[in-house]
Amino acid sequence: MKDSYTLKSLAVLLENNKISSKELTSEYLKNIENGKELNCYNTISQEKALIDAEKSDQRRKSQNLRSKYDGIPIGIKDLFCTKGVTTTASSKILSNFVPNYESTVTQNCDDAGLISLGKLNCDEFAMGSTNKTSFFGSVKNPWKSVNSDNELVPGGSSGGSAAAVSGDLCVASLGTDTGGSIRQPASFTGTVGLKPSYGRVSRWGIVAFASSLDQAGPITKTVEDAAILLDIISGHDEKDSTSSVNPKENYYENLNSDIKGMKIGIPKEFRSDKLPASTQKSWDECANLLKTNGAEIVDISLPHTMSALPAYYIIAPAEASSNLARYDGVRYGLRVKGNDLIDMYEKTRSEGFGDEVKRRILIGTYVLSSGYYDAYYIKAQKIRSLIKSDYVEAFKKVDAILTPSTPSTAFEIANEPSDPVQNYLNDIFTVPVNLAGLPGISIPYANDENNLPIGLQLITNSFEEQKLLNVARNIEETINYSETPEKWWLK
Amino acid sequence: MEFDKKSLLKLGKLARISISDDKLNNLSKDLNSILEFVDQLKEIKTDQVDPTSNSLNQKLEVRDDKVDTKNGAEDILENAPEKEMDFFVVPKVIE
Repeated sequence: MKDSYTLKSLAVLLENNKISSKELTSEYLKNIENGKELNCYNTISQEKALIDAEKSDQRRKSQNLRSKYDGIPIGIKDLFCTKGVTTTASSKILSNFVPNYESTVTQNCDDAGLISLGKLNCDEFAMGSTNKTSFFGSVKNPWKSVNSDNELVPGGSSGGSAAAVSGDLCVASLGTDTGGSIRQPASFTGTVGLKPSYGRVSRWGIVAFASSLDQAGPITKTVEDAAILLDIISGHDEKDSTSSVNPKENYYENLNSDIKGMKIGIPKEFRSDKLPASTQKSWDECANLLKTNGAEIVDISLPHTMSALPAYYIIAPAEASSNLARYDGVRYGLRVKGNDLIDMYEKTRSEGFGDEVKRRILIGTYVLSSGYYDAYYIKAQKIRSLIKSDYVEAFKKVDAILTPSTPSTAFEIANEPSDPVQNYLNDIFTVPVNLAGLPGISIPYANDENNLPIGLQLITNSFEEQKLLNVARNIEETINYSETPEKWWLK
Repeated sequence: MEFDKKSLLKLGKLARISISDDKLNNLSKDLNSILEFVDQLKEIKTDQVDPTSNSLNQKLEVRDDKVDTKNGAEDILENAPEKEMDFFVVPKVIE
């Protein structure tokens, strides 16, 4: 298979009858089979994908295409409910759950003729930054350090979604991002990860983690593909009352990499002595590059940046504890027998949830409990207002903000810190964006001294996805990042 | 406040998660570490700040009151661990 496959290039190949959807789908299914060691997929929809591909080829023959991208197979994070296909959220408690409805986002993909190859591994209920909390085991990053043969984390929670794109186990995938779960794994795997503005994409039918922060978005090989997939999945949905009524734009059609006269902000609070020199270098270089391409670089301040992570670790667990109350062994999912109803609840939840999920439910229950609600939950929501107003002020001065995506490149699976707070620091650059409801994108910029991808993050004001994609496209066009991992799993 | 054995078991009761004795020590260590981390917010003055529960500035729309035949009893019960007729079955609640 050619590494250069993208949504854009595949649409052309299909249009010119150079390849059929069935051939393409078979090719990816073979890659998935050969890449089993990466543990990207929880469920492989072999049979269904091939049937759907044949149907797409029929539509092409009868010139009845659903979109230009009809027949292209993609991967779907195992957090999107898919009719008739097991949806587990990588949790034991949902390991037998087969939804009888389809999430709006995956329905939108189906309406465009995209084909699902299967469901991608992720951290349990999207809670984690390394993909290690999955009930089905860690995903392995297709990248390895030049200095070691040890396996690396792909990031998380959309670790399977990012690793699958990076390792050519699909051309593009769907992920979700509550505090960085699309952008951080994209950064660790050399892929493009876009978290849209809160409300741009429907949350209906996505297993809920923290409802005021969750957003679905694409993980792709290129910025152009991110625009294409965002066009397909975004828009108002009457089934999600928080989905925006702002009209959606034609992101791909209107993609324009001209950034002359734009102002790009560099927030001083994101600077740190702890940042690896190679990441700092990429960040500086990228700012210079944008300047060369006609933008003005402006130093800005986002004073409450350091408060975002602690505020997030009150708000997200609070919402999670409430959302996950539904897993009680009564209506769906795992049930563990108990002596009475309460005993059944407690045993089901104790056996069904993993350690990180339990920690967050317990912290969430605590910060919402009587006596602590004001001191923690309301306090965190007030901090959220301060963070949001930081960005409102910043966007009076600049069009976009440039930061690193993550404080490090991918690290070894074996070196994951055991202290949960140390792990939370992975999301320090991405979390403020979710709290403020803004769109953010991580794009690969360069590789570090160990040949591991470094991601940079761009942020724009709410519903300015077009501007975000335009600046990202400008960088992509200029640097032409084309590094791919060595396929060590193909022995 | 610190999570000790007693407060942790109470929290487990509230969250309907049973916590076994062998997990208590590690769990209290982890939760105390998280609490210590979020406690740094206490130093920030927020008296004059209104809370934000949701970043979207959009008023909730009321949808049309239409009859919809989707998602009926059969659909809802499809994934139930135990069911009888049109009901979920749970352990006996009243003696």
